[in-house]
Amino acid sequence: MFPQFGATAETLSKASTMVFRIGTDAHLYDDPDDVSIAPLLDSKFDSEKCEALKRLLALIAQGFDVSNFFPQVVKNVATQSLEVKKLVYLYVLHYAEKRPNEALLSINCFQKDLGDPNPLVRAWALRTMAGIRLHVIAPLVLVAVGKCARDPSVYVRKCAANALPKLHDLRQEEHTSAIEEIVGILLNDHSPGVVGAAAAAFASVCPYNLSLIGRNYRKLCEILPDVEEWGQIVLIGILLRCVIARHGLVKESIMFSLHHSESSQSEKDGSDVEFGLLKGSRDVNGTCDSEFVNMVSRCYIEGPDEYLSRSSYASKESFNLNGTQFTSGKSNDDVKILLHCTSPLLWCNNSAVVLAAAGVHWVMAPKEDVKRIVKPLLFILRSSNASKYVVLCNIQVFAKAMPSLFAPYYEDFFICSSDSYQIKALKLEILSSIATESSISSIFKEFQDYIRDPDRRFAADTVAAIGLCAQRLPKMAHTCVDGLLALTRQEFLTKDLGSGDQEAGVLIQAIMSIKSIIKQDPPGHEKVIIQLIRSLDSIKVPAARAMIIWMVGEYSSLGEIIPRMLATVLKYLAWCFISEALETKLQILNAASKVLLCATGEDLWMFKKIFSYLVELAECDLNYDIRDRARFLKKFPSGNSSSQGLEEGTNGVPEKDFVHVVAESIFGRQTREVKESINYRFYLPGSLSQIVLHAAPGYEPLPKPCSLVLDDLNVPEGTRAIENRANYSGTDDDDHGTSSDCSDDESADYNSQRSITGSSGSDDSEYTSESNDTADPLIKISDIGNASEYQNGVSQCSPDNLGDLMSNRSLEFWLEEQPGSSNSAISEKNEVRKPSARISIGDVGRQVKPKSYSLLDSAHGNGLKVDYSFSSEISSISPLLVCIEVFFKNCSSETLLEITLVDEEANRALDTADQAVAVNESSSSYDNVPTLVPIEEIASLEPGQTARRILQVRFHHHLLPLKLTLFCNFKKHPVKLRPDIGYFVKPLPIDVETFMDKESHLPGMFEYTRSCTFTDHIEELKKESGDSLLIKDKFLAICESLALKMLSNANLCLVSVDMPVAANLDDASA
Amino acid sequence: MLQCIFLLSDSGEVMLEKQLTGHRVDRSICDWFWDHAISQGDSFKSQPVIASPTHYLFQVVREGITFLACTQVEMPPLMAIEFLCRVADVLSDYLGGLNEDVIKDNFVIVYELLDEMIDNGFPLTTEPNILREMIAPPNIVSKVLSVVTGTSSNVSDTLPGATGSCVPWRAADTKYANNEVYVDLVEQMDAVINRDGVLVKCEIYGEVQVNSHLSGLPDLTLSFANPSLLDDVRFHPCVRFRPWESNQILSFVPPDGEFKLMSYRVKKLKSTPIYVKPQLTSDAGTCRVNVLVGIRNDPGKTIDSITVQFQLPPCILSADLTSNHGTVNILSNKICSWSIGRIPKDKAPSLSGTLVLETESERLHVFPTFRVGFRIMGVALSGLQIDKLDLRTVPNRLYKGFRALTRAGEFEVRS
Repeated sequence: MFPQFGATAETLSKASTMVFRIGTDAHLYDDPDDVSIAPLLDSKFDSEKCEALKRLLALIAQGFDVSNFFPQVVKNVATQSLEVKKLVYLYVLHYAEKRPNEALLSINCFQKDLGDPNPLVRAWALRTMAGIRLHVIAPLVLVAVGKCARDPSVYVRKCAANALPKLHDLRQEEHTSAIEEIVGILLNDHSPGVVGAAAAAFASVCPYNLSLIGRNYRKLCEILPDVEEWGQIVLIGILLRCVIARHGLVKESIMFSLHHSESSQSEKDGSDVEFGLLKGSRDVNGTCDSEFVNMVSRCYIEGPDEYLSRSSYASKESFNLNGTQFTSGKSNDDVKILLHCTSPLLWCNNSAVVLAAAGVHWVMAPKEDVKRIVKPLLFILRSSNASKYVVLCNIQVFAKAMPSLFAPYYEDFFICSSDSYQIKALKLEILSSIATESSISSIFKEFQDYIRDPDRRFAADTVAAIGLCAQRLPKMAHTCVDGLLALTRQEFLTKDLGSGDQEAGVLIQAIMSIKSIIKQDPPGHEKVIIQLIRSLDSIKVPAARAMIIWMVGEYSSLGEIIPRMLATVLKYLAWCFISEALETKLQILNAASKVLLCATGEDLWMFKKIFSYLVELAECDLNYDIRDRARFLKKFPSGNSSSQGLEEGTNGVPEKDFVHVVAESIFGRQTREVKESINYRFYLPGSLSQIVLHAAPGYEPLPKPCSLVLDDLNVPEGTRAIENRANYSGTDDDDHGTSSDCSDDESADYNSQRSITGSSGSDDSEYTSESNDTADPLIKISDIGNASEYQNGVSQCSPDNLGDLMSNRSLEFWLEEQPGSSNSAISEKNEVRKPSARISIGDVGRQVKPKSYSLLDSAHGNGLKVDYSFSSEISSISPLLVCIEVFFKNCSSETLLEITLVDEEANRALDTADQAVAVNESSSSYDNVPTLVPIEEIASLEPGQTARRILQVRFHHHLLPLKLTLFCNFKKHPVKLRPDIGYFVKPLPIDVETFMDKESHLPGMFEYTRSCTFTDHIEELKKESGDSLLIKDKFLAICESLALKMLSNANLCLVSVDMPVAANLDDASA
Repeated sequence: MLQCIFLLSDSGEVMLEKQLTGHRVDRSICDWFWDHAISQGDSFKSQPVIASPTHYLFQVVREGITFLACTQVEMPPLMAIEFLCRVADVLSDYLGGLNEDVIKDNFVIVYELLDEMIDNGFPLTTEPNILREMIAPPNIVSKVLSVVTGTSSNVSDTLPGATGSCVPWRAADTKYANNEVYVDLVEQMDAVINRDGVLVKCEIYGEVQVNSHLSGLPDLTLSFANPSLLDDVRFHPCVRFRPWESNQILSFVPPDGEFKLMSYRVKKLKSTPIYVKPQLTSDAGTCRVNVLVGIRNDPGKTIDSITVQFQLPPCILSADLTSNHGTVNILSNKICSWSIGRIPKDKAPSLSGTLVLETESERLHVFPTFRVGFRIMGVALSGLQIDKLDLRTVPNRLYKGFRALTRAGEFEVRS
C-alpha cells in the first residue's frame, strides 16, 4: 500500500548496517564494478588508483577475470605509494602468466626498485619479479636473486631464498647450477631466519644434493633451534636424510632390531651378544612387534611400493642392510648432535615441528630414548581438531610398531564426545593395539560406556575393538566373550525391527568378534558356542544368524555337548528355513551338509533326512543362488553314502572317493589358519602420504644408507666441490626426471612460451632474430609454390597459434613420428597440387632432445644404462597402450646378455606358480590385464653399443608408476616406469552441438583465446574435398598433441580448435 | 608446498582466492569440495586432509569459515594445518572475530595479510606482532580517518626492525612510560567421569599468557614454585630451551603485547571442583531424568557460569525437563542446555523431568554424555604457582601482575 515506506525501511536497515561497515572496503566488495574502473586507474591521485585496484581485487576474489585491465594496472607499478604498489603487485602476480607481454613492461620498474634504499621495497620487487614466471626474464631474476642473497637486510635475503623455488619451477636447466650455488650461500647465512627459508628452497630445488648439506651439517644442527618454526619443519627432514645418507641407520634404534634379527637368522653369524638380545626383544619385554617394525623401516627406506612388490616374490637380497650400513648412535657425533638439537623442539608450540622432531627420534634415537617423543605427541593432540587427526594417524603406526611406548598412556586415547567419528575410530584402534594385561580392565570399562553411546556406528566399532583386544591378550578372551554374549542377549539388539540398521550393525559386529575369538581356541569356548546356538531363537538379524549357523556347521564335532544338540538344532533350522533371509538360507544349507559330512553312527540317518528335506525346500526357492547351491550340495551326500560303508570311520584315507574329497576341502578346511600378511603401507612420519596412504607426488623415502660418500664432504669449497656438485646434479637430474616427469614437460611448454614472447612483434624476421638468443627457429613452415604469400599466412599463425599452444616437442613428435597420418597427408597433397604447404623441421634432434628419463642407471645395473622417452606414436595393438621408446646402452666393458623387460605382475605370477608360499600375497594384487606387450629380447649388447626398442605399455593409473622387471645377465632389476599424464589423452570425436553443450557446462575457467587465419589453406582444402578426411586426421593429430601438452601439468583444460573444414573439436579431460 | 588458499563462507560461497604459485588452482575444486561436504555431511567436514581427484586439500573450519588450502605434492600436512590455523588466528585478531561479512568487508586487508604470511606456498612472516607493524589492523581511528580524508594507508612504509634481529618476534625500539607485565595462568580442566561415577581421567591443560608492555629489549625470567607438577610443556619460540632443561626456569625476551608464553599439562588430578550426578531410569516408554549438581571440593573461590549440556538420544520423541535453579533450554538439534550460573548456598541445583521414547521402544539403551562447563576466577586448579618474575635490566618502575583462571575444558560425565 505504501511502497515508499517499505523502501525507506529497507534503506534504513541498510543504512544501519552500513554504519558498522563505514570505513571498511565493504562497498567495494559488494559492488566492485559500479563505477568504471579504467579512468580511476589512470587518475593522478593515489587514493583513486587505490580504490580502482581494490575494486579489481574484489573482482578477483569473486572469481571474475579482470585481466583486461592489465596494461593500465601495470603502468602503476612505478608509483611511489607503497599501498598502491602492494595492490599492483597482488594484481600482477595473479595475472602475469596470462599476460606475459604486458608483464614484461613492468620489469624495468622492478629493477629500479631492487636498488631502492628501503628493504621492504627491494623485497617486494624481488618477490613479484620472481613470481611473474616469465622465461625471458629468468636470467634477470637470477641476477637479482644473486644480488639479494647478499643483501644487508635479513628480510630481503629471506625473500631471495623464497624466490629460488620460483626460478627453479621454470625448469631452465642452464640455471640449475647457479640456483644451487645460491642455495648453498644462503644455507651458510648466519641469520637463522634466512637458513630456514634456504632449507625450504633446498627441499624444492635440489633435495638430492645432500653433499651441500653435508658441508654445513654441524652448523645447521646448531642453528636449528633458532630457525623459525616453518623452516625447522623442513630443515629437520633434510638433516635426517643427510645423516642417513652419510652414516646409515643407528644400531640402537628401533629400525635396527629387525634387520638384525633377520640377518642373524639368515646368516647365523650371531657374533654379537647384542644380537641375541635384540632378536629376542619381543619375547623379553614385548616392546616391539618385530615383524611389523621391520616392514615399517623398510618402507621408510625403500618406499612401500617397491618394498611390497619385492617382498612378494621373495627376493629380498637386492636390498640387504649389513652391519656396515649402521652406525652407533652413542659414538657417532653427527647422530648425537642431531638428536640433541631436535629434542628441545619437542617442546615447540607448533605441532608440525613437534611431529617432525618426533619423526627423527623415532627413526634415529636409541630405543631407550624413543620414549621421550611420547608425551609431546600426546600433548599436541590437544592443539586443534584438525591436527589431532593427523597426529593420531602417526601415533597409530608408532603404537602398532612399539605398543610398549604408548601402553602407559592409554588414558589419553579415551574418547571425548566432541571427537569426530574418524578420530574415535583411530583412538579405538590405538587402544586395542596398546592394551596390556594391566590396563585392559580399565579399557574394558571404558568400552562398556562406549557401547551405550548414541552413535551406533561407533558402538559397533567398539565391539570390534573388544574382539581385537581379546585376540591380542588371550587371557582376556573369556572375559571379552562373556561381555559380548551379554551384549547379544540384550533385547534391544536382538529385536529385528524398530531399532534400525545401526543396532543390527552392533549385533553383527558382536557375533563377528565372538567368532574370531572362538577361532583362536575353539575347544576352550565350547560353552560359548552352545550359548550362541541357544540364542538363535531370539536373534533375528539375518547376518548374525548366518554367522551362528556357520558356527553350528563348523564346530559340529567339537566337544561332547554340541554333537548331541545337532539333531535338534537342525530340525529347528529346517523348520524355519522358509522364513529366513538369503544369506541365512545359504548358511543353513552349508551347515547341514557339513554336519552330514562329519556325522557318524546313528544320527546319520536323521541328518540325511533333514538334509534332503532342506535341499528339496531349497530347490523350490525363489532365489536362483539358493537353487544352485542346493543342486550342487545334493551331490555330496550321495557320494558320501556310497563310500560310507567302507571309509566312514577312517577320515583322511586317500582312497576316499572324489566327491567326498572335494566336499571335505570345500567345507572342512575353513578353520585353517590363514596367515594375514600385513599389507599396510607406511610412509615417513609426518608426511602427507602417511595420511592419504598412497605416495603423493614428490614423496621420497629416506635415502639409501651410506649412499653419500664421505670424500665429498671434507673438501673445502673450490673446484673439487663444484665438480662434485656437477656430478651430483648430473645424476640427480636423472633421478629427478624419473620422479617428476610432469614438471619436465612443463619445461617444454615454457620453451614454447619463450618463443612467443620473443615473437611479440608477430613478424617473421623478428621472430627468428629474437629467438636466436635462445634457439634457432625449430619449425619452419614454408610453401614451395606460392611461397611469399603463403609464408606470410602461416608464419604469422605459427607463433600465434601453434607455437603458443603447442610445445615444440609435441609438434615435433607429430611430424616426426606419425608418418602414417600426417606425412602421408602432406605427400598426397603434394601430388594433387604441386605448390602446397610443406612443413620442414630444422635439425630438431640437435636443438631439442626428446626428454628422456632414466629407467636404470649404469651404477645400479652393472653397467647397463636404460633410458626411455615417451613417443606419441600410436600403438598398433590397442589404444590403451602407450608407446615408449627405450634405449639400452652398455656402459660397462663386458658384453651384456639377454636383456629383456618384463611386467612385474606377470613375473610375479610366474614366481607364484612354483612358490606356493607366495600365493596369498600375490593373489590379491594380481591383475589379469596385460600391461606390457612383450618386447623383443636383446640377445647381447656389446660395450658401448646402444639398442632401441619400442615398448607398449598400459599404465594402470595416470600418476602411479608401473613396475617392471629388467632381466640382464640373468639378474633381475626392478624398475619403475613413470607415466606422463599427457600421453593418456585420447581424442573423443563429438559433434558441434554436443561440444557446445559440454562447453557450456564448464564455466569459470580461465580462457585463452588465440585465433589465426589459414586463408590459403581454406581455399586449398575446399578444393580437395576428397582429401579432407586425411587432413582432418592431421588436425585431429594437432588437437591431440595440443591437448596432451596442455594437460601435462595436470591441470584441467579444454582446448578447442575451430577448423574451417569441419569443426574437429577435441574435448580433453583428465 | 601450498598452491592456493580459498576462504569459503558457511554457505559454500568462495569469498576469496589467493593463488600462491604458478600452478594455478581452479575454483572448481571448491565446488567439488562443497558438493562432497553436503553429500557426506559431518564426517567429510571433520576430515582435515582430503585427497580430491586433482589436489590434496587441507581444511580448517573456524566459526563457520572454511579455510581451504590445496597442494599437489608431498608436504607435511601438519604444516598446512598449522598455517591455516595461524591465518585464522591472525585474521580473527585483526578483524575482531570471524564471519562472512567481516571478511568481505576487509578483503583488502585479508589479501595483504595473506600475501605477507605466505610466499610461493611457504610461510613467510607469521609472527602477529610483526604483521601488525607491516599492515595496520583496521580500527575506529583509521576508519574515521578514511571517511574524513578519503585517504589512509594501512600498509607500513618501512620494514619492521624485528624482521632482521635475532629476536624476530619483537620490535627493538618500543618505549613505554609505564613498564608493566601481566602474567595469567589460564587453565582448562579435562575430566571424564564414567557411568559408575568414577573419575576416569582428570587433567589440566593450562597456558601462561603474558601481556607485556616493556621498553627496550627486556630479558625476563619466570620460575614456578612447583615445576615438578608439570607433565609436559610447550613454549613460545621466545623461550630459551637450555635454562628450562637445566633449572626449569623460563628465560625469554617477550614479544610486545599479549602472547602465549607456554602451555602445560598436569595429569592425574584426584578430584574435580563440582560433581554432576545424572540418573536416567526408563520404563514403559518413558524415561525419568534426574541430574544433581553440587560442589565437591570447594576451591575457595566462587564457581560461576556453570552449565550442563547434553544431547538427547535420537529415539526420544519429547522431553519435559524442569530445574529448581537456573534455566533449561532444549535447542532445535535436540541439545538440552541447562545454565545454572552459581550454585546457591541453600539448595543443590537439580534438573528433573521425563522423556517420552519412541513408540516401539520400552527402555532407553543409549545414554547421553553430559558436558559440564564452569569457570573459577582466581584459582589455578592444577596447583601451579608462580614463584617469581624477574627482569634482568630493571627499569625505574616495573609493575607486575598475576592472575589465574580455571575453566572446564572437555569435562564429561557419562550416564
